[in-house]
Amino acid sequence: MSGATIDSLLLLGAVVLPFIGALAAGLLPTHARNAAAWLAGAVSLGAFLLLCTVYQAVTAGGVVRLELEWMPSLGLAFVLRADGLATVFGGLVTGMGALVVLYARYYMAAEDPVPRFFAFLLAFMGSMLGIVVSGNLVQIAFFWELTSLFSFLLIAYRHHIAAARDGARMALTVTAAGGLALFSGFLVLGHIAGGFDLDVVLGAGSQIHAHPLYPVALILILLGAFTKSAQFPFHFWLPQAMTAPTPVSAYLHSATLVKAGVFLMARLWPVLSGTDAWFWTVGTAGAITLLVGAYIAIFQHDLKGLLAYSTISHLGLITLLLGLDSELAMVAAIFHTLNHATFKASLFMAAGIIEHETGTRDIRRLSGLNRFMPFTARLALVAAAAMAGVPLLNGFLSKEMFFATALTADEPLPLGLKLLPVTAVVASAFSVTYSLRFIHGTFFGPDPTDVPSMPHEPPAWMRLPVELLVLACIMVGVLPAATIGPLLDVAARSVLGETTPEYSLVVWHGLTRPLVMSTIALALGVTLYLALQRHLRRGVEIVPFLGALSARRLFDRAMVFLSWRLARSIDRVFGTRRLQPQLRLVVCVALVLAAAAAFVRGVGPGNIAPSEVDPVLAIVWAIGASCALGAAVTAKLHRFAALVMLGGAGIVTCITFVWFSAPDLALTQLLVEIVTTVLLLLGLRWLPQRKDGAGAQRRPLIERVGRLRDFGIAATAGVGMAALAYAVMVRMPPELLAQHYLARAYTEGGGTNVVNVILVDFRGFDTLGEITVLCAVALTTYALLRRFRPAPESVQLPAQQLDQIALDAARPEPRRGRLVADWLLVPSLIGRLLFPAIGIFAVFLLLRGHDEPGGGFVAGLTASVAIIIQYMLMGTEWVEARVRVLPLRWMGGGLLFAAGTGIGAWFFGYPFLTSYFGYVRLPLVGEVPAASALLFDIGVFALVFGATVLMLIALAHQSVRGRRATPALDATAPSPRVAVGAATGDD
Amino acid sequence: MSSWTDHLVIAPIVVPLIAGALMVLAGEGRRTINNILALASVAGLLLVALALVGLADTAAQAPSQTRVYRLGDWPALFAIVLVLDRLSALMVLLTSVLGVAALVFSFARWYRAGAYFHPLLQFQLMGLNGAFLTGDLFNLFVFFEVLLAPSYGLVLHGSGIARARAGLHYLAVNLAASLLFLIGVSMIYGLAGTLSMADLAARFGELRAEDRALVEAAIAILGVAFLIKAGIWPLGFWLPTAYAAASAPSAAILSILSKVGVYAVLRLWLLLFGGDGASAGFGGGFLMIAGIVTIAFGSFAVLATQSMPRLAGASVLVSSGTLLAAIGMGQAAVTSGALYYLVSSVFAIAALFLLIELVERSREVGADVIAVTREAIGDVEEEAEQSDEETGIAIPGTMAVLGMSFLACALVLAGLPPLSGFLAKFAILAPLLASGADLGAADWTLLAALVLSGLATIIAMTRVGIDAFWASPGATLARVRVIEIAPVLGLLFLCVGITVKAGPVMRYMETTARSLHAPQEYIRGVLPPSRAERSAP
Repeated sequence: MSGATIDSLLLLGAVVLPFIGALAAGLLPTHARNAAAWLAGAVSLGAFLLLCTVYQAVTAGGVVRLELEWMPSLGLAFVLRADGLATVFGGLVTGMGALVVLYARYYMAAEDPVPRFFAFLLAFMGSMLGIVVSGNLVQIAFFWELTSLFSFLLIAYRHHIAAARDGARMALTVTAAGGLALFSGFLVLGHIAGGFDLDVVLGAGSQIHAHPLYPVALILILLGAFTKSAQFPFHFWLPQAMTAPTPVSAYLHSATLVKAGVFLMARLWPVLSGTDAWFWTVGTAGAITLLVGAYIAIFQHDLKGLLAYSTISHLGLITLLLGLDSELAMVAAIFHTLNHATFKASLFMAAGIIEHETGTRDIRRLSGLNRFMPFTARLALVAAAAMAGVPLLNGFLSKEMFFATALTADEPLPLGLKLLPVTAVVASAFSVTYSLRFIHGTFFGPDPTDVPSMPHEPPAWMRLPVELLVLACIMVGVLPAATIGPLLDVAARSVLGETTPEYSLVVWHGLTRPLVMSTIALALGVTLYLALQRHLRRGVEIVPFLGALSARRLFDRAMVFLSWRLARSIDRVFGTRRLQPQLRLVVCVALVLAAAAAFVRGVGPGNIAPSEVDPVLAIVWAIGASCALGAAVTAKLHRFAALVMLGGAGIVTCITFVWFSAPDLALTQLLVEIVTTVLLLLGLRWLPQRKDGAGAQRRPLIERVGRLRDFGIAATAGVGMAALAYAVMVRMPPELLAQHYLARAYTEGGGTNVVNVILVDFRGFDTLGEITVLCAVALTTYALLRRFRPAPESVQLPAQQLDQIALDAARPEPRRGRLVADWLLVPSLIGRLLFPAIGIFAVFLLLRGHDEPGGGFVAGLTASVAIIIQYMLMGTEWVEARVRVLPLRWMGGGLLFAAGTGIGAWFFGYPFLTSYFGYVRLPLVGEVPAASALLFDIGVFALVFGATVLMLIALAHQSVRGRRATPALDATAPSPRVAVGAATGDD
Repeated sequence: MSSWTDHLVIAPIVVPLIAGALMVLAGEGRRTINNILALASVAGLLLVALALVGLADTAAQAPSQTRVYRLGDWPALFAIVLVLDRLSALMVLLTSVLGVAALVFSFARWYRAGAYFHPLLQFQLMGLNGAFLTGDLFNLFVFFEVLLAPSYGLVLHGSGIARARAGLHYLAVNLAASLLFLIGVSMIYGLAGTLSMADLAARFGELRAEDRALVEAAIAILGVAFLIKAGIWPLGFWLPTAYAAASAPSAAILSILSKVGVYAVLRLWLLLFGGDGASAGFGGGFLMIAGIVTIAFGSFAVLATQSMPRLAGASVLVSSGTLLAAIGMGQAAVTSGALYYLVSSVFAIAALFLLIELVERSREVGADVIAVTREAIGDVEEEAEQSDEETGIAIPGTMAVLGMSFLACALVLAGLPPLSGFLAKFAILAPLLASGADLGAADWTLLAALVLSGLATIIAMTRVGIDAFWASPGATLARVRVIEIAPVLGLLFLCVGITVKAGPVMRYMETTARSLHAPQEYIRGVLPPSRAERSAP
């Protein structure tokens, strides 16, 4: 926090205070109306006073600046920078905020949840202050979007009304989109100027004008400013935002938020203006908005709608002034911004009072209110007169300045045309007309007959803000130099610096051409109002000549198309929710990318000669390949056959391992094949039957083409894979990891079986991971099957079994060995006898693993085969009545054992999984090799055993639960072992 | 290797492993033990991760920036190594934060919604941490499996037809990805003779010219596996469905799962192609374009849905696309912005997934359908509503908190102020548009993609949010427990934190990105000097 002066801290306080207030207000109870209002009022006044202090410093010594570090490496700092323009705008934001809070206290109904309202209002105030006193472009964009956000929340304050929701959403969409454009524009501007700091940017004017990207930056920034300040063609959101409570309309949508765009254009005026691009875009947008807004305003029947379009028109006026590239116009723009805030806010408040008292804002229903609320009527009259530009009021003065600049501005139009003075007069005339309509339609004429409640004067406190604002209109109008003069001067000088023009703030300039224009405008406006009487009384909603052209409707249509219809079709066409196309894409993309990578550079020859083809192995492989093909072909319709052929392919893999002298791999592969095939077969029992299994009739053409295409993809991928594999196998890198392993397996790993030493020692960490995978898979399988409810047709006993049962029942005397219960009698006896033998073989494999083929993984699978045999041949209940395997204990224990072996190394000061081997002298046996890796392998063994058995049990219990789920079958059900056994035999 | 702090590097893998094993041993019935173990484990992980970030960040002063943990005390030439640098420490920290959030959230009810939630979550965390820490290509594959296997269970956790369908799709696609991974790793081993990432990078320059194309093909296959995880177009259609169907805590964890793919690309791509060898910059253009296309598709997918979970799933695509496109630019400064974005979007997406479950709970079944029909036939209730226009309706406290949280998530994801999403996009774009550089088509495209995807996100999220919070007819009051909303608020608070403390956070990211773009540091850190020097250009 370098160079923080008292003033800069006060400035920081002014920005932070509203946010703290917002947080506090948000935490108040729902109906704490007075507390929230007091809080909000105090915060706004506090911030206002702080800014007044800062203003003193600004008038005395220029710019107050505070810089806090934020993202220093990207040139982003949190910079507060208060100069004349910023403090004057800041004062407007906070001062107006205080008045609006007072007004809202009486406007909002007692049952409204006002703390939320005031919280958002204060947060908005903070964000708006943030924009005006930001000294960094990115920070401006930051607060800019915040104002959009809080405006959204405030418009949608009455979110149970659909119109409020829609209005809020539209406002957010338009202004947030503009904000994003602004952000991009700032990025480009920062790129041009070499930094985001406002002082840097403001100092780089000539560089910016000359840069080729200037038009891009300009358009993007103007998009932001135009959307925010409701410039044509982005003006349509503002009338929709009138669904907000009236204090919000008065504050955000007339005095502050919509001025953000104007403020920004003024802020960057010194560096962005002065080009034809600026003149044409800003000037044109402003002029069109000025005219169109004023014109539409005349035909509005809703008081707030009229004021909204009038606001649009006045914003257009200010924009037009800014577009004129003249210093005097710049002063007029600032002046009119302030004036407009005062008279328009007071008019909104008056409209709110009328609505509050009568229950309606429809001019067609209102009339003669002058008699019921004479004081309010006077106030509204004065404010409307200011809006119309009647002399002795502030609106008149800024309008005079506008006329003056309109007359002198250079218009690079062909044929020396001068459109501006005409535009100015016509627009002024329109504004006279709608001001008249507002006043005359509401306060004069006969007594109202069609209003929901009979009006009377509002509470005095509710009127006070209006009175103060109207007083300001008059004071400025009568004594401009004494009241607004210094403020305007400070603000204008902060933008224009040395080039600030001479201007005179007096009421009477003599009989000048602007005065003549004013008079013409007044007369024209009154005439137009009189002429339109008949049309307006008809009360039609449509604006003449522009009725069919609704920017709002266009926007709605575009939004529905872009954000819904188009998005949905793109999602449908370029995406899929089906598995098959997704997998097809995966294969294709991998294929294309790998091929592209290989072909772009080109694959050269390998560095070792390929070995000769052994005919026997080739035949074995041909068998394996046809098995694999057969599995793929039959997978869809004949699952059982496919599974059998899959097994065939697996066996061929096994044989290949043996062929190339890899007994360990062959052993493991064999067991994995056995166990997975068995588990898959058990699972097959529960798959639903295929309905279209017959296959007799020819499949439709499209399906055949599809299958052909898939075959093509599969064949290409397979051939490609084979080619890659071949290419890799005819190459030998200068150094292989395997060489290290081979060299050290015995000397440093203590084992002669290199594969095992790799698994439990060199790369034991991989094994630890893999057994964790197995554990997770087993748990998942179990969790999935526990909730699994098979299809009804799968619960039924298979047809063969039913036949046998019927046969048994029909037979007069049951003969042992011929009943369904005696099925597989001999194998089950052998299986029982095999159990201990297999168990011992498993332990044998485990113990010899470090030196001979074997190891924990194989041993675990072998042991589980012993259990699987029992389950299959004897049935679930028979086995579980005798042997209770607790697979989770085995798994948890195994995992802990393996991990514990790894951790053990820590206690000797070595990294995880460091192994130790030596020789242990056992009594009787003598010296035996012992490695800590064996302990690890025991953990592997236990986990593999437990996990395999858990999956088996999860499957086996399906048959037990399946019967339980359908008790009707219980009567005829045979013993469960048959159910499991038979499950393997059919599909 | 004697100090206990040396072993800290492996703690993020061992702690959840032990906790998970103990849970399996204890059995599912012992809920208290399981809960205590789970809590102790994630709390421990969080502390360890913080310590690791500290270690990695101070290592800047030491001669080598990386801490290497050689498993089994084998020489670095052929040992599996864990490598702690700033990137891995950061990712481990993210994982543990999400672990804490998901676990605390699950305590309300999810851990009881199916079998073995707790151990699966632990193994999932172990897998994630392992994938982030390992410096060995095959070990990376193993840890991919370790993180995927439990994720299958977690996606299916809570059962139901939608979950089963989405979960099985998820499983099939990821198995295919694993297969590709395996193919890629085998080819690389066969061609380069090593599995150590550092060694591979060191030997990369010495590859025979005839082999280089094959290695690049292998890396392309490997890349497909990673990009499937990241959910890039057209490989990521499974992602929104699976993420939307998953139970809330699982989905919260999944939000970093998709970043594992991004991490792998970041790590390997920069390690192998980040220098200035013969293959420098290989595939960068592809990453950039694929990222941009993914952003575009993701944005439309975000717009094309009325359902909150699917929207969240689709926004994962946008986030992945953004990251890959930014990384594909191949500039250290842009990468550092991408890292900041990664942190921000992981937090926000996780918070969103947790939040959605709470919001959906209070909505009537079929509220989405009602909303759609209302939009189609026009709001009939609109007229009736006009009468009570005068006053607002008090939002009950719960809905207010949920609504504000949703808004916060929307802001982060759309990249609007005041939360970290805005700074994240700024951090990516500012270096691109830094003064002095010439702006190319790629820069402009990325700028437009980022800005427009933000717009799409905010449009979609306000539409869905307005429907859920403001317009739902007869929304019943949700019963939301403090331990359910606390993780959401915690994650969002972290988003606020990295916004306020953007300076220090960004400095960390920049140092990270700089060292990623200077792979020599990593190689020298891992390999013995004799080997590391070989690779010096």
